[in-house]
Amino acid sequence: MLDRRAPATSTLQSVPLVRIDALNKWFGALHVLKNIDLTLRPGARVVVCGPSGSGKSTLIRCINGLERFQKGTIEVEGSSLGRSDRDAAMARRLTGMVFQSFNLFPHLTVLANCTLALRRVLLKSAHEAEEIAMRHLTAVHIPEKARAYPAELSGGQQQRAAIARALCLDPRIMLFDEPTSALDPEMIKEVLDVMIALAKTGVTMVCVTHEMGFAREVADEIVFMDQGRIVEHTSSTDFFDRAAHPRARLFLDTILSH
Amino acid sequence: MSMLDIWLGILQGLRITAAVTAYGLVFAVPFALVFGVAQFLTTGLTRFLVTAVIEFWRSSAVVVLLFVFYYVLPVMGVTLSAMTVSALVLGLNSGGYASQAVRAGLQSLPAGQREAGMALGLSRPAILLLIELPQALVAMSPTFVNNLIQLVKATSLVSLVTLTDMTFRAKEISQTEYDPVAIYSALLLAFFVVCYPIALAGRWLEARVNPERGAPHGI
Amino acid sequence: MGFDFGFALSTIPIIIGAIGATLLATVLSCLGASALGFTFEMIRRGGGAPGLAVRFLIDFIRSTPVLAWLYFLYFVMPVYGIRLGAMTVGIVGLSLYYSGYLAEVFKAGIDAIPKGQQEAARALSLTRRDTVIFVIAPQMLRNIAAPLGNYVVSILKATPYLAILAVPEMLGRAFDIASETYRYAEPLTVAGVLFLALALIVSYGVKRMEKLLLASGRR
Repeated sequence: MLDRRAPATSTLQSVPLVRIDALNKWFGALHVLKNIDLTLRPGARVVVCGPSGSGKSTLIRCINGLERFQKGTIEVEGSSLGRSDRDAAMARRLTGMVFQSFNLFPHLTVLANCTLALRRVLLKSAHEAEEIAMRHLTAVHIPEKARAYPAELSGGQQQRAAIARALCLDPRIMLFDEPTSALDPEMIKEVLDVMIALAKTGVTMVCVTHEMGFAREVADEIVFMDQGRIVEHTSSTDFFDRAAHPRARLFLDTILSH
Repeated sequence: MSMLDIWLGILQGLRITAAVTAYGLVFAVPFALVFGVAQFLTTGLTRFLVTAVIEFWRSSAVVVLLFVFYYVLPVMGVTLSAMTVSALVLGLNSGGYASQAVRAGLQSLPAGQREAGMALGLSRPAILLLIELPQALVAMSPTFVNNLIQLVKATSLVSLVTLTDMTFRAKEISQTEYDPVAIYSALLLAFFVVCYPIALAGRWLEARVNPERGAPHGI
Repeated sequence: MGFDFGFALSTIPIIIGAIGATLLATVLSCLGASALGFTFEMIRRGGGAPGLAVRFLIDFIRSTPVLAWLYFLYFVMPVYGIRLGAMTVGIVGLSLYYSGYLAEVFKAGIDAIPKGQQEAARALSLTRRDTVIFVIAPQMLRNIAAPLGNYVVSILKATPYLAILAVPEMLGRAFDIASETYRYAEPLTVAGVLFLALALIVSYGVKRMEKLLLASGRR
């Protein structure tokens, strides 16, 4: 039996921002996502966790169309994200993505990383694009690094620059794919602090992470995945206090004990 | 003249093309080994001189080099057949390129290989012969295949110094037969038939030698 | 009849006078080969029937000698009513021939860019065209600087092939002198030395530019 109690904090009146229905994905013969159902309301702060190989990253990469899927539906703001390129383009406009390995463009300055899509996708003027980019770089506390190249930044600074770059397009949903996993321990906090501040602005966040302290502080919902399935989707207080599924308990015991 | 006649006429030159290639290898292989190893082992002035010789053969334009040797050697009192001059020039040019692969292959071996050989009490020549060269030559074998293809293609130049290779045959046929489309298509095809199998062999070799290096380069 | 140094010296200014044609052919062939090679690689990456056709064309070009291509273009194009000057035919021939090699260079340069770069561009909603122009191409340029520079030198060294089509570049000018004076050794030696010097200078210059390019980005 799967425990799918409705998250305590979710409200009935809000229209879902993302609705995932019976999503299935295979990599060749490997069944990586099995019948995923997931609904995200606007303003939700969701942490997706689970052992490695459980399909967490693949799930959020499906939400913005970086991965194709074979069965099921994903709707973002009511428009179905099926298998066509146009749908994927639509989904990407609404989502911002932060990668584990930053993926900043090494040949462009931090500022140019941020303004590229503003200018080419949203067709902003150079001046306006820089203004927007500087606002977000200030919000992540690295306005002084605007003219630097990614290689001149520490890992934590690079990831904050990547967050600013994603925020520039004013996304409805921010997706984080293990944003702190590639960082040295002393830099994790500066990135998490930026994400906590971001959560307070009310933006919808979906974050794949192993940082349970962050999850406890920021998330209002926890999605726990194992072997391609969502085995637990609950409010974060419920999850930490009385996770129902034995796998989730085991996961929590291992991860919180060190 | 039918397409087939033209094709067969051009293939009459294959014997010379093959002979120049084989004769060229007689110069190329020893040059590549000796100078590649010498550049790897030597330092200072010796290395400079070795490098200078390699660079002369490698950095000269092979077309010009062939003419220079063909016309200058007789003036110096050295009379060699057109075949020998061609094999010498094309072979050493090709050997110049291959020597760089030999050196690079030796340089890219981890120092631990030599140190392990020394720890076993092997002499320097023994280490080179038994440990370093075998690994370097295997690793670089796809590059040598590429060098071979370049040598085969460069033999087309011998048509300019009166040898009747495939290119020369094409020009000969074109003097009696006005059908440039058929003649020069057949010439391209003739080289393709010779070189492409070598390229495929090179790719196979590359996949065996460097299985981790994804898509092979070939040719 | 020995080697007449005085005569050789007297031919230097005449042969250097043709350096303009040599450099022009080099520069235009480099541009042509790069544009064509990049286009080929983009089509090949696109896959499907056009991708397969280009894949075969590249293999074909790389299996056939540049001399055969020059003859082919020079003699076959007029059959179809295309009449171009010898210089133009030569540049088209060198561009076509080296595009097969540069396509491979571009391929390696693009393959070396981490997959995350494309993903980040897609996540930012950049179009495929913008991704190529603003994300892929600049990084590819950095990856290919070294091999591209080597091919600039290779193309320079291939320009004397154009003398065979009677293009008055440096080797062609040397042959003009030879046929007027019936002395081959001296002008050809001078051409050989000049080409070697030019190749070494360009090769040095290309390496310097490569260093500047790599330093400018501060990766």
